[in-house]
Order: sequence, then C-alpha cells, then structure tokens
Amino acid sequence: MARSLSHHAMRRALYRSNTKVLMTGVMIFQALGMLLLALKTSPLDTQALGMAILMPLVTWLSLALYGRLFRIDRALMLLFLFLCSIGLVTLQDIARSPETPFLQALYTLLGLGAMGMGILLMRVLRRWDRYLVPLMLLSLAFLALPLAMGSWKYGAKNWIEVGGVSIQPSEFGKPALILCLAAGLSGRPRLTKCLPVLGYAALLCGLLLLARDLGALLLYFLTTCALFYAATSHGLLTLAGLGAGSGCAVAAYHLFPYVAQRVESFQNPWSDPLDSGYQIIQALIAIGSGGLLGLGLGRGFPRNIPLYHSDFIFAAICEEFGVLFALGLLGIYLVILVRGAGIALAARSSFHALTALGVVILIACQTLVIVGGNTRMIPLTGVTLPFISAGGSSVISMMGCAGLLLGVSSINAHDEWEDYRRRVAEEEP
Amino acid sequence: MKKMRGAVRLLVALMVAAFLGTGGWIGYTVYTQGGRWAANNMNNRLNSRRKSVGMGEISDRNGVVLAYTDGEGRRWYAKDKNVRRALSQTVGDQMSMSGTGVETFHAGTLLGLSGSIIDRTRQYLSGDRYQGDNIRLTVDAELCAYISQNFPSGKEGAVCLLNYKTGEILAMVSKPDYDPERLAGRQATADTTGSGYLNRCLQGQYTPGSAFKIVTLASALSYMQGGPDPGVESLTFLCEGPRSFGNSFVRCYDGEIHGQMSLNQAFAVSCNVTFASIAQALGAERLVSTAERLGFNDNFAFRDLILYESTIPTRIPESIELAWTGVGQGRLQVTPLHMAMIAGAVANNGVMQTPRLIQRVTGAKGTPRLRAAPAPYGQVLEVQVAHRLRDYMAYAVKAGTGSRAALKGYRVCGKTGTAEVSDDKSVATNAWFVGFLDDPAHPYAIAVVVEQGGTGGKAAAPLAAKAFKKAIGLLGA
Repeated sequence: MARSLSHHAMRRALYRSNTKVLMTGVMIFQALGMLLLALKTSPLDTQALGMAILMPLVTWLSLALYGRLFRIDRALMLLFLFLCSIGLVTLQDIARSPETPFLQALYTLLGLGAMGMGILLMRVLRRWDRYLVPLMLLSLAFLALPLAMGSWKYGAKNWIEVGGVSIQPSEFGKPALILCLAAGLSGRPRLTKCLPVLGYAALLCGLLLLARDLGALLLYFLTTCALFYAATSHGLLTLAGLGAGSGCAVAAYHLFPYVAQRVESFQNPWSDPLDSGYQIIQALIAIGSGGLLGLGLGRGFPRNIPLYHSDFIFAAICEEFGVLFALGLLGIYLVILVRGAGIALAARSSFHALTALGVVILIACQTLVIVGGNTRMIPLTGVTLPFISAGGSSVISMMGCAGLLLGVSSINAHDEWEDYRRRVAEEEP
Repeated sequence: MKKMRGAVRLLVALMVAAFLGTGGWIGYTVYTQGGRWAANNMNNRLNSRRKSVGMGEISDRNGVVLAYTDGEGRRWYAKDKNVRRALSQTVGDQMSMSGTGVETFHAGTLLGLSGSIIDRTRQYLSGDRYQGDNIRLTVDAELCAYISQNFPSGKEGAVCLLNYKTGEILAMVSKPDYDPERLAGRQATADTTGSGYLNRCLQGQYTPGSAFKIVTLASALSYMQGGPDPGVESLTFLCEGPRSFGNSFVRCYDGEIHGQMSLNQAFAVSCNVTFASIAQALGAERLVSTAERLGFNDNFAFRDLILYESTIPTRIPESIELAWTGVGQGRLQVTPLHMAMIAGAVANNGVMQTPRLIQRVTGAKGTPRLRAAPAPYGQVLEVQVAHRLRDYMAYAVKAGTGSRAALKGYRVCGKTGTAEVSDDKSVATNAWFVGFLDDPAHPYAIAVVVEQGGTGGKAAAPLAAKAFKKAIGLLGA
C-alpha cells in the first residue's frame, strides 16, 4: 500500500506538477478581461462575451489533453497560453475592427494544433539526422518563395499570398532552423562537420537579407551563434562570428540607406517627428501617457501608434496596463527562459538539449529585440512580440516552437519515470 | 554533455542579464522621460482629454490661483493682469504656445492621466466630471509680478530667483510676456509676435560674458592651488592693455587698463586680460572639466521642468579661442536658470540643488499625490573652493563692478557680465548679474539678463538688489 502511494506521488511530481493555482489565475484573467470588454459597449459585445467563455474552456481542455497525452511541463504551457490571452485581450480592446481579434483567436487555435504537432514530432521522431537534408532543402525553398512571388510591404518582401491568406515564410523557418541546427550540431561534432549546417544557416540569412527582413535576420543569426556555442563550446569562434555579424551590420549601415535611416531615427527621433521618427515617438508618447499603472483597459488611445497591433503592441500594452504590468510581462518571458533552460539542462541527448535551448533563446531574443525597439533602447527592427502580436504566421510558428520545447520536457519526464521504475525494480527483485 | 551544460548556463545567464537590463532601462527611461513624452504636443490623447476632463488647478506657493477650469470647461488664469503676464511662460497656455509651461509639460498631471484607480472608481460611481490633479508651484506670484514691473522698460530678458538650499524656484520672469487668457478659447489671436512665448530663463541660450569668470575662477581655484607652483591666489597680475594670444588680441571692456593687481581685484574689476591668461595656464581640458562638473553639456532631465542645455565646446583650440572662452566670450551658451544654479552651488558649500518648480500635487478631493523634496544635483565644487569663490564674489559686489547689487544689512555676492553679441559692436551688449545672498535665513540665488541693456553693473545689478529686497520682505525669515 505504502509503495503504491509513493508511486502515485512520484508520478504526480514528474508528470503533472500542481498547476491548479496558475491555471485558475490564467482562466480568471481571460474571463474577466474579456467580460470587461464585452460590457464596455452599450449593446453587449457578443464576440468578447463568447471569448470570455471559450478562452478558459479551451485553456482547460487543451491543458488536460496535452497534459495527459504527453506528460508535458504544464506550468510552461500555461504561461504560453497566458501570453496568448494577453495578446487576445489587448487586441479585442484596441483593434480597429473586431475581425482582428477574431482571426487572432482562430490562429491561436491553429497554434495549439501546431503545438500538439511539435510535441508529437519530438516524441515520435527519434532519428533526426535522417530528415536533416530534406528539412534543410524544404525550408530554403520556402524562404525563397517570397522573393519569387511576394510583394513589398513595409519595406520588406517577406510575404506570400496563398488563397487570400498572407503567409510569412520567415516565421515558419524558425522551427526548421532550430531543428536543423540541433540535428546538425548534436553529438559534439568536429568543426568541419558543423560546416554544412552553418552554411545552411548562412544561406537562410542571405535570403532574409535579400527580402530585407532585418528583424528575422537578426534573430536567425543570434540563434545560430548561441546554438553553435552551446554545441561546440568554441567561445573564440562564436565571438568571431558575432564580430563578423556586427561588421556586416556596420557595412549595412553604410551601404543601405534604409538601415542608416533606422539608426538615425533611433538616435534622434525628435529631429523628424512627423516622418522617420513618427513611429517611435508615438510609441514613447503612449508609454509615457500610460505611466506606472496605465490608463486602464479600454481607456487608452493606442491607435495613435502606427502598427499598434503588431510591432508596437508592447507600447500599447504599456499605455493600457501600465509600465508595472509591462515589467511583469517581461517577468513572464524571463520565467519561460529559466524554466526552458531547466528543460534543456535536464535533457538526456544533445539533440534535445539543443532544440530546447534554441527555442528558449529564440523567444528571449525576439522579445528583447522588439521590447528594446519599442522603448528606444536599440534601433527598431520589425519583429513580433512572441505570442502576443497580431499575426497568424507568427503565433502559429511560435506555438510550434513552444511545442518542440514542451516535447523535450515530455521526453525528460518519460526518461525520469523509466529511471525510477528501473531503480524500484532493482531494489525489489 | 557536461561542457554543453556549462555553455547553456552561460548563455541563459547572459539572456537573464539582458532581460534585467531591459527592465531596468524601461523603468529608468519612463521615470526620467515619461512625463516629457506624455506632455509632447504630438500627443493627441491630451487634446481629446481636454474636452472631457476638468483640468486641475495651478496655484503659487501661497495658494494664489494661477489657472483653473470653470464648470463649463473654460480655462481661466490669474485675476491680476500683472501676475498673469509675469508668469505667462511659466504657467503656459491651452494652445501650448509656451512649450515648457506647466500647462503643457505637466498636462498629464493636470488632466489626471495617471490618476489612482480608487479616485477613478469614485468619480465613475458618483457620476462627477473627471477631475485632474491640482499643482502648487514653488513660485511666489507677487514677487514675479514685482520683478516683471521693475524690469527695465521696453527691454527683453530674464530673471530667475531660487532658493539655493532647496532648489525651489521662487521667481521666473521672461520678457516680453503675453496674456494666456487670450489663448484660452483656442481661437483668439495672440498679443505677441512670438518671442514672448519663449521662456528665456529655461530656453534662452545666451553668451555669458564675464559672468562665466565664476567658472574660470572655480577651475583655477581647483587646479592651480599650491603644489610645486605658487598658488593662483598668491600671484599678481599685470594688465597693460590688449594682450596678444596667438594671432589676435584680448582687450578689456571699453579699452580699460587695470595695471598691477591681485586675483581678488582682477575678479572684482572683471579684467579680461587676467582671465584670458588664467584660461591659457589652465588649458582647455581642465576648464571644460570644471564647466562640465557644473552642469555644462548635460542634457538636463529634471522632473519639474525642461531646461535647455548650457554648452561649452569639448575641444577648444589653444590660444585666442581658449583665451576668449576664459572670459566668457567663446562659443559658450548658458541659460539664466543654469547660471542661478551655479551661483547657488557656490553659496551652498559647493552642492548644486536640482531646480524645482512643483511644490506638491494633490488630487481633486485634496488627497496628496506628491510632495516634492529637495534633491541635490551633486557636489559640483569642493567645499574650500566654494568658500573662496564666495569671498571673491562678495568683494566684486563690495568694491567691484557689482556694487549696485549691494543691499544694506546683507552680504550680497555676485558677478556682473557684459556680453558682446556681435563682432563689430553694432548691437548693444547683454547685461548680466549672477549672484546670491550669503544669509542662512534668506538663501536666494539670482540670475538677471537684460538683452542689449549695456553693462551688467548698470543694467542688471540694481534689479538683482531690488529683487532680493522684495523676496526678503515677502518670504520673511
């Protein structure tokens, strides 16, 4: 009797970890936030009301489903869902048309599907080196698509239209990049063996440069450097790579006028407040107007900021929820970073460790790049705030990446459970 | 795997540090700049809010109302026309013509942009019109009106008077001025050609002229004190008319020849030749270093007000340009408030106080929101240097060019300036007086600029004495 109890406790500890409080909190946030927005308009906003009911329901169901199927790190998944719901609540509030949050909700559901696929892929496919070359070729072809059939938008050519839906291949290239790097760099390869996969990453970066998707380029580059360093521990070579990257950035500053203009409007936005400095100034004004506690949900005017729903959603959140909340938001990303790193450290194979690390580094870098850009800490590069900004490609690919991370956590839990069973069996033959 | 784990830990530690840095940056930047951003006149929120919110009241340190909004949402300013005009740029207006005015710079507070949740809920439940916060300023309305009326008639310029122990600005007057009442309706035309909207105390970047000799002397007292060479204070100086520095000459005002004198006398009679030589001996690096400690080239980000930068070139070519810089005629720009702060630092044992314009902020129902406390800008001079400088400045008023600033029964310390603003004397000189009262009960520092007023001793110093006297009378012991 005593043994079955401890068995039970062990199972719980490994697989389920008690996340009731966190889950309740997230569900209350979703329900109350949406309810508040539903009551704001005088004929009740039925869409917000519907979301107030559906969002907690989906949270509970998806958590129960994935938790039971795969034994994932439930707290981490809840945090991803929390970020998504902050995005949905903000969009429901600030978007010009109710279509934006509606579509975003659909994309988030698709993202949940992508997350499940990510977990499943990690659990099912064990021999990744077999798929490395096809995956590399496929992602290269995919990223080259917008150059062939895309059109310029906001100074970049990184979109393609498929059946009336615009897709951003550079977003979907992210999980592919992480998987290829992890597969190509696992098992402490010699330097020459690293070259093919590094060449692949360089090709991807070249494609992004042609498409002028500088934000994605920066993220791909940083993720590659981080994974190379983790896999090989070549500190000097990594630094050399970073230095070469910085050199390229300086060269780009001198070669391309649009890069120089970005830096210019970062250094002194007030010199041209109506044109090149307009975006960042409106973002700063929004942040300043929000102050510490914010103007309150539904009481701000974030539509004054250009791209308030995508690139500048952090500024919009600052205005509505206040700087304290925004700092708390950064705290959530920080917790994801640390917990994700824990998963990477607990992984048994270097492939899994690198995959988990890649996801974590990507999310963290992307957050820092866009938050820093919004607050004039670094020059602005247009990337989305992970899980929060409006945009189907972004949220689906990010949820897919999150799925990879959760998949590693599920494998870890499975491995530890096997260990435990083996130990118990040895003690009592 | 073990090596990989180490690398993973390092990478994650770097990312965590980056996150903490970003959080710190956000907190810092919003704390120091947030009000400025919100007050920007490109902020459409303010205009849309002006229609729906009862804007808070602005009053002076004694509670004299300087601006308020009536029940119909119309904005009114001080009843007394002299007060209204004297404080026009300080208080500001509804059209943000005076961009540094409280009405604009603190619009977020006056409109209650970041009011507390409790107040909002209460006002929501009671159905009252949303009421912004009230601001009480540190200025004295009567003192401002007095200074404005006693300013040389028809002249342009600025006077600011502050308490150097607390940093409170007691008077801030900029001439010409305007009547904010005329802008309250957002349609009437203004009564000034434009330069009246400028708050010259904060935004006027003037050539300091001899008033800058305070900085040159401070640098000499800091760097040329004893050691192997004789201290600067034990030297005697000889002024035999124009002296050549490199390819040009430095001459004293009006071609005067001062003869042989001590440093004390040279400062009191404002001998250009002596101070040009001192600047030469100091070298550009040390002179710039002292000036920067005193706040030059600092992009002041004070919470209460916008103060434009005072500038000194970071690299000054030797010889003639350095010589003229030591006299205050180089490529120097100073704001009157900053000069008053420098005088205040000399008086306050070398500690410069952050200037303050807001005494307190209260909610619509009187709940205190913010009560400001003095905050030092820094120890900008060594204590001994400040004390020596104070004695030099006292002598300049007692027996030098600043004699008209003297006030019976008080020890006035100061320095005049007569700044050339044209190369060929086609435009009359700007008159400066920068000084303070050496009196613990009345710790007031002042800067007076009268544009094209002639010499500092004749045009600016008498106004300083009058202002000190009035301030003592009004603010008491």
